[in-house]
Formats: sequence, C-alpha cells, structure tokens
Amino acid sequence: MWTSKLTAILLLVCLVKSRPVFAQGGKLISLKEDNAPLERVLQDIREKAGFSYGGEAGWPQMSHPVSLDVKKATLQEVLDICFRDQPVYYTINSKKHVVNVSIRVKEEREVHGYVYDENGAPVAGAFVQAPGDNGTTTGDHGEFTLHMHLTNAQLDISGVSFESQHVLLPERGKDVTVVLRARVGSLEAVEVHTGYEDTRRGHTTGSVDIIDNNLLNRRISTNILDRIDGVASSVLFNKNVLGSVNESTITIRGRSTIYANPNPLIVVDNFPYPGDINNINPADVENVTILKDAAAASIWGAYSGNGVIVLTTKQGKLNQAPRVSFTSSLMVGQKPNLYYQPILSSSDYIAIEDSLFNRGYYNPTFALPLSAGGVLPPAVETLDSAAQGFISPAQAAAEIDAYRKIDSRKDLNKYFYRPSINSQYALSVSGGGSQDRYYLSAGYDRDISNVVRDEYDRITLFGNNTHEIVPGRLELTTGFGFAGSSTYFNNPGGTGVNYPYAPLADARGNPLPVANQFRIPYLNSLSGGPLLDWQFRPLHELENMDKKLTLTDYRINIGLRYTILRGLEARVYYQYGHGDSDLVNYHTPQTFFTRNMINEYTQFTSTGIVTPVPPGGILDEQRLIYIANNVRAQLNYSTDSLFHGRFNIIGGWEVRDLEGSEWTNWLYGYNPADGSSVPVNYTQTFPTYPSGVPSLIPYQDQKFQTAERYISYYSNAGYTLKDRYMVTASVRRDESNLFGVRTNQKGVPLWSAGLGWDISREEFYHFDPIPFLRLRITDGFNGNVDRGLSAYTTTSINPQVNIYDNVTATVVNPPDPTLRWEKIHIYNFGVDFASVKNRFAGTLEYYIKSGTDLIGQSPEDPTTGISVFTGNTADMRDHGVDLTLRTDDSFGALRWNSALLFSYVLDKVTKYEEKLGSVYDYMVPTTINPLVGKPLYSIYALPWAGLSPVNGDPQGMLNGKPSTVYSSLVDTSALSYMKYKGPVNPPVFGSWRNTFYWKQWGLSFNILYKFGYVFRRNSMFYGPVFSAQGSGSPDYAKRWQHPGDEKFTTMPSMVFPVNSLRDQFYQYSDVLVVKGDQVRLQDVQISYDLSKETRPGLPVQLLRFYLYANNLGILWKANHVGIDPDYVNSIPNPRTLAFGIKIDY
Amino acid sequence: MGFVSLHRGNRLVALLLLPVFLQACHKNFLDAKPSTTLSVPTTLSEFQALLDNNAVFNQVPTLGEASCDDYFFTQNAYQSLDIRQQNAFLWQPNLFEGQGGQLDWNAPYEQVFYANVVLDGLGNRPEADSVSQWKALEGAALFARAFAFYNLSQVFAPMYGTVADTAHLGIPLRLHSEISSVSTRSTLPQTYQQIINDLDSAEAFLPVMLPSNNASRNRPVRVAAQALLARVYLSMRNYTLAWLYADSALKFYDSLIDYNNLDTTAGIPVGIQNSETIYQASFLGSNQFIGSYFCAIAGGFYSGTRIDSSLISSYDPNDLRRVVYYHYKPYDSSYLKGSYTGTNYCFGGLATDELYLIRAECAARAQDFGSAMNDINKLLTARWRSGSFTGYTVTSWKEALDTVLLERRKELAFRGLRWTDLRRLNYEGANIVPTRNQGGFSGYTLDTGSVLYTLPIPPDVINLTGMVQNPGR
Repeated sequence: MWTSKLTAILLLVCLVKSRPVFAQGGKLISLKEDNAPLERVLQDIREKAGFSYGGEAGWPQMSHPVSLDVKKATLQEVLDICFRDQPVYYTINSKKHVVNVSIRVKEEREVHGYVYDENGAPVAGAFVQAPGDNGTTTGDHGEFTLHMHLTNAQLDISGVSFESQHVLLPERGKDVTVVLRARVGSLEAVEVHTGYEDTRRGHTTGSVDIIDNNLLNRRISTNILDRIDGVASSVLFNKNVLGSVNESTITIRGRSTIYANPNPLIVVDNFPYPGDINNINPADVENVTILKDAAAASIWGAYSGNGVIVLTTKQGKLNQAPRVSFTSSLMVGQKPNLYYQPILSSSDYIAIEDSLFNRGYYNPTFALPLSAGGVLPPAVETLDSAAQGFISPAQAAAEIDAYRKIDSRKDLNKYFYRPSINSQYALSVSGGGSQDRYYLSAGYDRDISNVVRDEYDRITLFGNNTHEIVPGRLELTTGFGFAGSSTYFNNPGGTGVNYPYAPLADARGNPLPVANQFRIPYLNSLSGGPLLDWQFRPLHELENMDKKLTLTDYRINIGLRYTILRGLEARVYYQYGHGDSDLVNYHTPQTFFTRNMINEYTQFTSTGIVTPVPPGGILDEQRLIYIANNVRAQLNYSTDSLFHGRFNIIGGWEVRDLEGSEWTNWLYGYNPADGSSVPVNYTQTFPTYPSGVPSLIPYQDQKFQTAERYISYYSNAGYTLKDRYMVTASVRRDESNLFGVRTNQKGVPLWSAGLGWDISREEFYHFDPIPFLRLRITDGFNGNVDRGLSAYTTTSINPQVNIYDNVTATVVNPPDPTLRWEKIHIYNFGVDFASVKNRFAGTLEYYIKSGTDLIGQSPEDPTTGISVFTGNTADMRDHGVDLTLRTDDSFGALRWNSALLFSYVLDKVTKYEEKLGSVYDYMVPTTINPLVGKPLYSIYALPWAGLSPVNGDPQGMLNGKPSTVYSSLVDTSALSYMKYKGPVNPPVFGSWRNTFYWKQWGLSFNILYKFGYVFRRNSMFYGPVFSAQGSGSPDYAKRWQHPGDEKFTTMPSMVFPVNSLRDQFYQYSDVLVVKGDQVRLQDVQISYDLSKETRPGLPVQLLRFYLYANNLGILWKANHVGIDPDYVNSIPNPRTLAFGIKIDY
Repeated sequence: MGFVSLHRGNRLVALLLLPVFLQACHKNFLDAKPSTTLSVPTTLSEFQALLDNNAVFNQVPTLGEASCDDYFFTQNAYQSLDIRQQNAFLWQPNLFEGQGGQLDWNAPYEQVFYANVVLDGLGNRPEADSVSQWKALEGAALFARAFAFYNLSQVFAPMYGTVADTAHLGIPLRLHSEISSVSTRSTLPQTYQQIINDLDSAEAFLPVMLPSNNASRNRPVRVAAQALLARVYLSMRNYTLAWLYADSALKFYDSLIDYNNLDTTAGIPVGIQNSETIYQASFLGSNQFIGSYFCAIAGGFYSGTRIDSSLISSYDPNDLRRVVYYHYKPYDSSYLKGSYTGTNYCFGGLATDELYLIRAECAARAQDFGSAMNDINKLLTARWRSGSFTGYTVTSWKEALDTVLLERRKELAFRGLRWTDLRRLNYEGANIVPTRNQGGFSGYTLDTGSVLYTLPIPPDVINLTGMVQNPGR
C-alpha cells in the first residue's frame, strides 16, 4: 500500500510541476498531509475549498490514510489523489458544495476492452486502471482484460503519447472501446514497426520516418517503392544510375559502402524480403517505416548498413463488421519524347560521311574483301557505288538526297512507341470478432507499356488472420501472400544502328533492312545463296521477338504469441518464402539472332552445306528460384512500474536460410509446337562464316546454387522515466556462412544506445509557442557484408569449356585471413517539436556516419600474381541534416496541410589505398573511382584553356600553359591535372508537398528539388560518328571553323584523321560539366469524397474519386542546355494522367 | 498444445532452451558454401581446370616485340597510342612514365601465381589419386611457371652473359602462392637456374605423347619442355645444350606445314589446330597495343602497324611466307595476317620450325654446316612455292650461320623471339642497330650495348616492394 501512495505522490508532483493548473471555476487548494486519516484531509479541504462532506456510515474506518503535497490544485485533482486506491469513492454535488463518500461494493468482475487512436489504429502499451484497483497495459492490438474487484469505479486510460481519458465502466457483458486523443506533438503517437516490435514513435530515440496509408495512396503506381519517392525524408531515388559502379537506385542517408551491397534492406511481414519488390501490391501495404540511424536500424544488425524499409501489411480490426473496399484506377501516359536527346541531323551526318569518303577514310575497308571489311553506312555505300561507276552520279545524288530527308525517329515513334495504359483493381475484405480478425485481398494490375509489344500483368492475393486460441493467453496469426506476374519484352528498343537516316519501313509499311553487321553489297551478293537471309530489319525484329518473364512468389507466415505472466510474452514466428523467376527468350527462327547464328556456323563441305547450329528457333531460358526459411523466437517483457518508469525489453534468436538456385539453358533447333530440340556439338570448334575464326557453339547450360545463412541473437530495451527521460539500447550478433572465414570471425556484434529527453515536460520549460520539445541522441553500429569474398584461395569453374574443349577455372580471390564485416558507426542528434494544436510540427536531425573496414581495393605488388587486393581497407564518412516540417492550418472551410522535407548529405571517402592509373580512369563513368577526401561518386574534369585560335583544337593546361598534347593531358597519372567538379548525386534534396481540403474536395501537389550536384553532358565527339558508332550531337553546327570562332564556341573543329585522345580530352573537359540543380513539379492529385456522414442516402460508406497527374515537369533548372538533369542520357518518363475510384462498403 | 500444458515455470525454461537446442545444428548450418560455383581447389580436376585457363596461361608478353626492328607505326597509329606504347616504339628510357598496372609484368606473374596454387595444392594430394596424374599436373605447372619466368627474364632482366655473372639482377622468383611475403629480385644465374630446374622436372613428369595432328596443343607435353629448354639454352648462348634439346625434340616430332596447301588469300591461313605447333600461346590481350595493332582482319578499318621494309623485301616472291604472314602491299604498306593462333593475335608459343632453326644455328656454330643447311632446306621446301625452291648451298659455316640467322628472322617474325635474338646476336657481335626512320619518324636508334635492352620494372612494383630498378631507367 505504501508504494501506491508513493506513486500517488510522485504522480501528483509530476502533474503539478509539469502542468500549471489554472482555476476551473473553483478555488485552488494547496495542501500538505503526511499519513493523515482521510476524514481529517476532508476537513482541511472543507476549510480551504468550502466543500463539506458526508457519506455512508463506517467509511472513515474503512478508508486508508493519505499522504499528499499539492499546491494550487483543483478540488477534483485533490480528491482524485485522496481517493486513489481507496475502498471508498466520492461524488461531488457542486450545487450543494458537498463531497459525498460511498463504500465500494466488492465484486469480482472482468472487463474487456480495446483502445484505439483517432485513426482507428490499436494502441499498444496504454495503461488502463480502475482507481483503487488493478491496472494493466494494452496488448499489441490495443486489447486489455482487467480483473476488477470494486464496482462503481471508472477506468483511467493513459499513454505516453496521448491525452489521458476517463471512461465509465460499461454494462456487464459489454466491451469497452476507448479512443485516445493524441497529445500535442501527435507525430509521437504514430506507430513504428521495426519488424521486431511495434512501438510508438514517442517511445523510440531512433531516427524513423513513417509514410502512412494516406500518403502511400496519394500516388498511383504498381510498385510500392515508387510511392515513397519524394515523400520520405532522407530517401533519395538516384537517377542516371549505372549498374557497373555498384550504385543503388535508392539510398537512405547517403552512401556508406563501396563494393558491398548498396541497397537498403526491405522487410515485409517481419522478415527481409528476398524477392522482386514488384511482387508486393501497394494496396496491401498499410504503411512504410524507414529506419535510418543506428538505434532504429541496428536491430537488423548486419543487414542494416544501408537503412531499412519496413513494409507493414494491412490487418483487420477486432470487433468490426466486415468492411469491403474496392479501388481501381486507370492511368494513361504520353508517348516518350524521342526528340528529347538531341542528335546530329541526317543531313550533317551524311555531310561528314561524304567528307570522310573524299579523304579516303573508308579506303582500307574498300581494300578488304566485302565480307571482312566491317559494316559501312548506306550513304557511304552509295558514294562508293558511284565512284566505282555502278550507279550514275545523278542517281547517287538522288539517293543521298533521299537519305538526308530521313529521320529514323519518325518511324521509331510510329512503329515502336505508343501511349501507355495502366489499370489497377484491388478488392479487400477485413473485419473481426472479439477473438479474431482478418484481412483478405485480391489485386489485378495490367500495364500496357509505352513501348509497343511490351506488357505487364500481375495478380496478387493476400490475407491474414489472427485468432485468440486461449483468450488473453495464446494467439495465433497466419498469413499468406501470393503474386504471379508476366512481363513481355518484345520490343528491341531501337533501330540497331547509329546512323540517323535508317528508314524502318517502305511506303507500304514493309520492314526495311539496316546495315548493322555486314556491308550491304556483301549481303546483296549472298542473296539467293544457300545461307539464310542475313538482313537485319528492325521492324521485323519487333514483330518476331518472344521474350517473357514470369514471376511467381508466395510467402506463408505463422506467428504464435503466448502470455506467460503479466507483461511477459513469448512469441514465435515462422515465415516460408518461395519465389520463381523464369525468363524465357525464345529467339524465333525469324529473328536476326537465330538466322545470324545458323549462318555463322554454316560449313561448306564437299558434300554440301552443313549447319552445326540446326534450323529452328533458339530457346534461351534463365530460371531463378529462391526459398527462404525464417524462424524467430522472442520474449517480450514490459512493465510500467520498474523504479517508477516504463520499461520494456525484447530478446530473441533467429535463423535465416536463403537458398537460391539459378540455371540457364539453351535449346537449339527448338520447336515450340512440340517442345522438341536438336542436340549440337559443343566441343568442336567450327570455322565461322565469313571470317574463318574458329568458334565453339555457345554452351549456356549451367546450374548453380547459393546459400545465405544467418544465425542472429538480438535484444532491444527501453526505459522511460516520468514520461520524459528515455534510455534505449540494442545489441545484436549476426553470424553468417561467410566462406572460409574462421568461425569466430563469422559473427559480428553490433550495438546501439540512445537517450531521449522530453524537455517540454520539465517545470522550468515555459516556452508557450512550442509546447512540445524533445531531444534525442543515439550512437551505435550497423553492418554490411560482401559475401563474394573469402579467407581462402577460392576458385570458380567457368561456365563454358574453352576453345580447346577444356573445363577451366579462375582464382576468385587470394587468401585473406583478415576478412571481416563492414561496420557503420552512426551518431544521430534529433530535435522534435510541435506548436499548439500541431499547427506546425517537425523534426530536425544531424548525423554522422563513419564506415570502417569497408571492402575496398588496395594495390598489391603484382609480382604476387594479384595486382589489386580486395579487402577491408577503406573508410568513408558521411554527415548530414534532415529536416521535416509539417503545418496544419484552417481558414474557414479550407484546411491546408503542408510538409517540407529537406535533406543534406555528403559522403566522403576517408581512406582508400588504390590509386587508379591515370586521370582518365577517374573520369570514365564505368569504373568506381574513389578518391580520398571526395564523395564516392564524383565528377572530375580536365581544366579547359579554350579552343586554339589557329586550328580550333581544344586546349588543356599543362605546366601552366595551354597545351594540345592530349596523351599527356588525358593519360597522365598526376591527379593534380584534374579538377573536382562536384558530386554525381545531389547533396541537397527534398520536397514541398501541399494539400488543401475544402468540403469534399482535396487538392495536393508535390514539388521536388535537388541542389548542389553536377553532370557531364553529351556533345559532338568525332570518333564515334566517323566510325558510325555514335549519334553525334547538334553541337557540330557550333564547331570552330574559322579563326575567331574560338571567341564564341567551345566546340572543337573537325579534324581528319580522327584523334581519339582529342575527343576524350574534350569529352572530359570541364566545359561539358553542367550543374544539375533543379526544381520540378512531380505530381498533382485532386480528390472528391462522398461519405455517409455527409450524404446519409449514400449506399456505401465512402466513395472517393481522384485524378492524379504525374511527371509534370521541370519548374526551374540551373542548366541552359535543355537537359533534364534526371534524364541525362535517357528519355524522360512521359507525363501520365490517372483517374481512380475508391469505394468502402 | 502440449507445450501450453506444461507448468508455467517449465514453459519458460523450455522457451529459453529452444535457442540452445537449435544451436546444436549451428555448426554445420553455417558451414554451407555460399555458392556452388566457389570452391577451395583440392582435386586434380580442379587443378587441371586452373592450368587449362587460357585466359591466364598460353600468353606471352609483348613489350620485347614492340621494341624490335621488324615493324613501324604510321603517324596516325602512333598518335592514338598511349604514352607507354609511344615510348616503347621510340625506345624512351622512361618507358612507363610512372604508370603501373603493366600487363607485361602482371600477366606472367599471374601465371606464376596460378602455377603455385596448383603446386602448393598438389603438396597435399590425396592418397587415392594416381601418381601419374598428379605428376603430369605438377609437370604442367612447373612448365607454365618456367615459361612465365623465362618470358619475364627476356624483357626485365639483362642478357645472360656468363655463369659467374652474379652482379646482374634477374627477376623475382615467387615459388609459393601466398601473397604476403615481399618480392625481391634474384641474381641472374639464380633466375636461369630456376627456369632450368623447373623445366628439367617438367620434362621428367610431363606425358610423352603429343595430341594427334588435329588437336589443340594448349597443354604442355614432354617435347614442349624440350623445345623450351632449347630456346632457353639458346638465349644463354649454350649452343651445345640448345642443339641437344632441339635435336631430342625433333627426333620425337618434326612435322612441318607445307604452305603450298594453305589458302594464301585467307585472313588467317593457318588454323589453331596445326601440325607445327607444339605448345600454343599468343601475344597478350587486346588492351595492350600489340594484339590490336599488329594484325588487322575483319572489323578494323585499317591497321596502323606496317612491316619493316628490309624485312618484307627479304622474302622472295616465290616465298609463300610473304602472303601467308602478311597482307602484302607495295610502298611500306604491308601488314600482318593472322598467325598459328588461328586468330589475329600473334603466335608466341613453341613450334617445330623454331626447333629446325635452333638446331641449324647450333650446327652452324659447331661448324657442321652440312647439317645446318639440311635443316634449312627442309624447312624452306615447305615454305616456298612448289618446285621453286632448289635448296641453298654454302661453302662455310660462317655463310651457313648468316643464312640461318636471316631465315630465322624471316621465319620467326612476330613470334616474340626477335628481342632475345637482338640481345644475343649483338652480344655475339652482330652489331644490329634498330632504327625508326620509316612512316615519318627519323633519328631514333637503339645502340648496341645500350642499357635500354633491359626494360624497366614497372613503377608500381618498385614502389610497393622497394626492389632495385634496372640501370639507366
């Protein structure tokens, strides 16, 4: 009993000190008592407040003594303290100024109930108490069961993030439902799902961002990750990504690895999801939690180095009638703009070819046999025919003139592209009884791509059910997810040649050939011969491609929760996942691929021709299967009264086994009608036609298996004192089957710790405009691993036998006994704040990430046989700021919400031992080029000293003087010859989203911005155009032609013969580096809601219509060269417009 | 539900024990291979697969050939070369200008590393394997290591003078696959002793049989070890032993291709499977200039590499080598065709024609000019147009030697042998001074006795190991 009194005193102290209470109509009382009988206290109150008292006989004898010390409290507050935990209760008659004391009747009773927040989400961990009687906390689903002994009590419900609430006890046999209102700083009440536990944001010290369901549904897409683009803080969707340099399309808080896995971890239904993210239907996702710092993410240990994205799927609610919901949308998109990337006009292209022809550039090719000379563009063939007298000069001029008028993009636009149509349908049913709840859904998506003959469709089924087997004790959760999709890739995507004047069809639409592999006269000479038609006709390819990817994915979840003691729970989870990806590329007999291969291997023997590659199609199948088994056993313990604070801890153990199989096989002479194929001779080389170079028939049949295994132990604990001091800590140890590493090095222990201080609850805090202010600081480690490395000398068998018909093996890595995991150390400092009524609220965070033991390359003495050593030799350091600012305001009927996201992050390589050979290696985009002191992905350039006034040569700076010694400028190993121009990815980015509500209407638009980065633009490089390998650039028109031009242009003169180093110097000079800064209007959404509340006659609960326009375009950009920095070398995503409807029954 | 019915305390204990219980399978669970394609090599077939990797083996360095006098670059070709290629062509002392990553050094040492992985692995051979199999593998690895060491020594170490010549440094000799020990240079005699020791063992271990005429010869056999020993002893000017090994090899295998049976208009007249090749090897990969510039067949607009006029003019019109080796053009415009590699890469392996020339040279030097001319005439009969070759007759061993050396240059052009010959023959007093005075270049010479006959060790190697650089570099 004394403890409860102490609690009462402490509570009172808190109440009084932290919340100055103002008069509520009555007199304020100051009172101090120590272990005084209740009756004497009431006497004191009578004197101070003027309320007399009375009551049932015998109450003074039954009551317990009271201790309290209050200043300026209301009468009710004082009485609440006095009657707390008493077997008597009070009622106030305000008119008569009497406090009446009654004796409680003892009676066993069990009360069930549920606690929800204003959004209808269950509130876990809320404290429910009948004053003077037992208390309990709500479970994960907001449920509680309270064993009461007294009647006539009320229930007090409180939660850290919520305003306290008093409710009367319900009638017997009825459950009580309580809705808690969020406290000031409502962000605090949002649920955080880490995949291991569900908690409130207010209970964590870590850095998390939560994208709620409304925000997820703002955007229309078939891929869930697209929906967090531009709305999640610190999450950057990288554009212009090159796969060859290990860049990820999504980064959370910048980059902290070089060669290891760069992708964030994606968690679905409590476990890492190994499949294709397109298998997740966004309609089944309730919300997305992004874990950014060590305290938030390190529970995921060695997976968490790049941040964690937790997808929480939808669930039903207890005691809810079945709710049916249907959504559908139809989205149409424009054709891609093929004219966006500027290329050299056909006329200019031919003019260059003409000039090369006259200078004898093609003579070596003409000198060689037709079959061996390499392909020549049609205009050159025409010029040659005329020169040889096969056609008249007039005819040649006419042909050339016709070529000049052709722009291949016109035909591409006509035959290869179309407007896109995307339709989505999702139907779900959810609900629950008193002991179970369920959610079931089905979805169908169909995407008719803007690329002709490319299509996508997907069926998803998803469901879960939670059932209380033993009420209050044992709960079983089951769930399943299925996705099946088909993707058709039947569009070859282009003309297959680089010269711009290839017509694709004749006047009647018949496919025309292009010159892409052999000289036209050579192919003409073959016609009528024994070989298959060897022409390449792009339109024909478009008609005959048959390539399809089939994905099948399912997962099954089983979870068991058992309450051992009050506050102590055991949980066991199991998930089985299985994904199958089957890519079938059937090269039909009509495709160039098949005809070409048959022709190449054709053998002319004395007895006739033999085709070692048999007639028929070639089937190329690649199949990937994964099977994931996850088991987790976890104990949860929570209490509200550990040294007067709230304490919770989880600890667990988990095993993860991800087995992959991958196989490819080719069938030659394949006949789809009966599935038959023809065996070929893989072990003998055949002289290939026409070069005679001996080759083996490609052998692609192989299968291999991968295993990724982990055993992990983890624990996470939090302690909150007085609702304002918070300490959190986590530890985790991961062990994995890293190859050949000694067992004691297979594991890595990672930890985090955090402190939180709700400063606004302190009595000295009086800053009224910001009634909520909280500080957080965390420190800890995340991990990452490069599974390709090993401590031993490892070899791998090469897929195909060599030309000598031998199986060959390659040494994959030399021994590295010191191999270990990458570690990322993160400090995070955060401030959360909110104004009165949440008119504005936000979070400001600063963090430092230091990656150590990163896998890097360091130069090794090549005499050892290894010139580059890959091991734990590199370090990186990022630091950044994230600011989120939300406002919520009303102007009459108009409500305005806005969200400003601002992120700054810049990484820096702090240790890297390998120096690349030359400045050129730092500039080509296809190599990872870490340089100490600079961001991992940086753009370097060669200083520019203008065009030579004599001949228009581009000039660099060598020893302080303009120079045209390109080999010295480009190929030098002295890094001082190049300049750092800026990072490839924007260090400053974010969005500003505004939403307006007026009556049933809603309007929302999102503006994205990116600053502080650069890109290298394309220009005219002569070499690729001369060899017909590039499309050139209209910059050609601005080229230096006469002395004096250098004052107006930076485009070098055209020289012959081509000098590739001169081209390279210009390409990598700093005149072609352009600022990427931009502001773009991403999208606009307009919605109109009809609900039963506003239209009682409506046959459904809610009817919502919406319009959504996406990829609207650039508002401002720093560059003046007409390039959208998101699409430097590609075509921008076309604008789309969608119409959608949502019906809730 | 049995679990639920346990006593409350027991349930807790059971739960806590669950991880412990599951831990039992822990050890094996984490020992799974991450990928079936990865392995730590232990079996003979895995070692064989390493030795059969022709992306590593069967390749020779090219900087020696680039420093020779058999070719020149056109100005255009020269301009598009990188610095080291330009420097090699013009015999610049600072060949690499500070750039590391030189394949001419790195690739042979990668061969040494692979060979050492095999040799170290064979040290732990399982009992079950047959002795002859692992002996053959050990022989192949030793041969490959010797081949790499020899090729390195011809470029990065000075000419072998005398046995007592310990003042000159040879090449680093790495004999184990571990990578942690620091590389140091051996003395010149140590280098050659290691090559000869490896080859002597290889000769004892390697299988005797050559694959049949139409099979590829990428794996070494005993006659290959003998052929390489003949080449090594020739480079050491030990003409007695060179003759002995050439003779032993030829006694076992002496097949020559009759060029009259070839299609001389073809881009690659000789296939990879030919009867003359004893051990197949090609010039190093395409990112070094030799591979891509020396030859031009389908795909290239032009070749920037031209044949030296004194060499091309030394072929008689009836000598089929002029059209089998080259796209023969007037006015210094001839360029290379494909080679015994069956591709447009130059051949750097071992073949019988070289053995005939070694035996002939050694015979001539031993003043047995009759035997010398027998070999030369037999070789040339297979090279000249049928009926046009009547046989050389000489009257002195000196005349025979001159004839043999001229035919050696013509027969073995672009085989990676000329550089060693220049060093050796000048040591013998031939006084050959290569110059660059064609294709618009003039004034470049490589004087006899120049320190530039030993190329510099790549700068990254020097920086990382602190080993001694060659003089004058």
